[in-house]
Amino acid sequence: MLKQKLIPVLNKPVSFWVRNKQWLVFSGLLALLWACGGADSDRLPILGQREAVTKTVDGKQVTDSVYQTIPDFAFVSQYGDTVTAKNLDNKIYVADFFFTSCPTICPKMKVQLKRVYEKFKGNPDVMLLSHTIDPAHDSVAVLHEFAQNLGVTGRQWLFVTGDRDKIYDLGQKSYMVTAQADSTAPGGVIHSGAFILVDRDKHIRGIYDGTTEEGVDKLMTDMDRLLAEPKSVASKS
Amino acid sequence: MSKLPRLIAGFLACVSFVSCQSQEEIKRERYITEGILVYKANCANCHQTKGEGLAALYPPIANSDYLVNKNKVICLIRYGQQGRIIVNGNQYNRPMPAHPQLSDLEVAEVVTYIYNQWGNEKKVTDVKMVAPVLEQCRTELNGPVTN
Repeated sequence: MLKQKLIPVLNKPVSFWVRNKQWLVFSGLLALLWACGGADSDRLPILGQREAVTKTVDGKQVTDSVYQTIPDFAFVSQYGDTVTAKNLDNKIYVADFFFTSCPTICPKMKVQLKRVYEKFKGNPDVMLLSHTIDPAHDSVAVLHEFAQNLGVTGRQWLFVTGDRDKIYDLGQKSYMVTAQADSTAPGGVIHSGAFILVDRDKHIRGIYDGTTEEGVDKLMTDMDRLLAEPKSVASKS
Repeated sequence: MSKLPRLIAGFLACVSFVSCQSQEEIKRERYITEGILVYKANCANCHQTKGEGLAALYPPIANSDYLVNKNKVICLIRYGQQGRIIVNGNQYNRPMPAHPQLSDLEVAEVVTYIYNQWGNEKKVTDVKMVAPVLEQCRTELNGPVTN
């Protein structure tokens, strides 16, 4: 009896919470995210070396940081044409280093990069760039057959070859990965299994373990985040 | 009075009978367990963990018609494979590296794993069966030993 009487009394204030519980919790979480997130923390960091450059602008000293960027290069794709940094202008791209006869981590990397390819297939803002580190063996014809056998068509995923020292140099100095000849390693070359995510300004925004599914899941999430960054700001220069 | 020893004897006979019966099974499981490790370390990079291969680059092992040539399989694991091969009607032409570091036993273990997992076999491919096949291939590849 007592209970029945109480319920209608309590009904009003309780029902507000109960009826709007989901909405309240949701908006609470949203507010929390907003507060913690801030404006900039959703952006991926810019990796690599940075230099502080001090200039005098309008009589005032202004210090600006200059970020490491991928310099221009000229390699040859699996279709036999020249690929330069210009081909990647206004696109985000994933770079990696491999060779076709590699028995160790490359097949794993290619399985994983194929997942990225399948996910972003046809997206004009995304490219993949695989550099061979065994150009003596990996000619244009070899790369072409490899790409074809992997099920890669079109120009979204380019396999490039070129001068060995230039490739090693670019890998080590600009992409910050290991790539060098070593006769004791299986296949004669040691190299890292990293995938490097580069933004529209040719800044490195992430380095991922290209041999594991988790590493590449993270890469694909970060690619979505990078694609969501405003284009006009990112690609003004 | 003499019941207890007889009971013990009976019990022991029973145990040894059961264990004899599953001796082969224990061996099979041991081979497979080791074979999985050998497979993961040496084969799975290209042929994938589930043996499905990789596109037109590396042929599948799972449900592969190539498995009928067991002696060839044994040899190519140790000595590698060159040139075109046809697997399930598809052509593959990428060299498979040799694995000279694998012992006869390791080859037997990985072959046992492959055939139990994907070749409809439920038995051990014993190292005693694998060793002469490997020896035969070695002499064929190197020519007869002359000294």
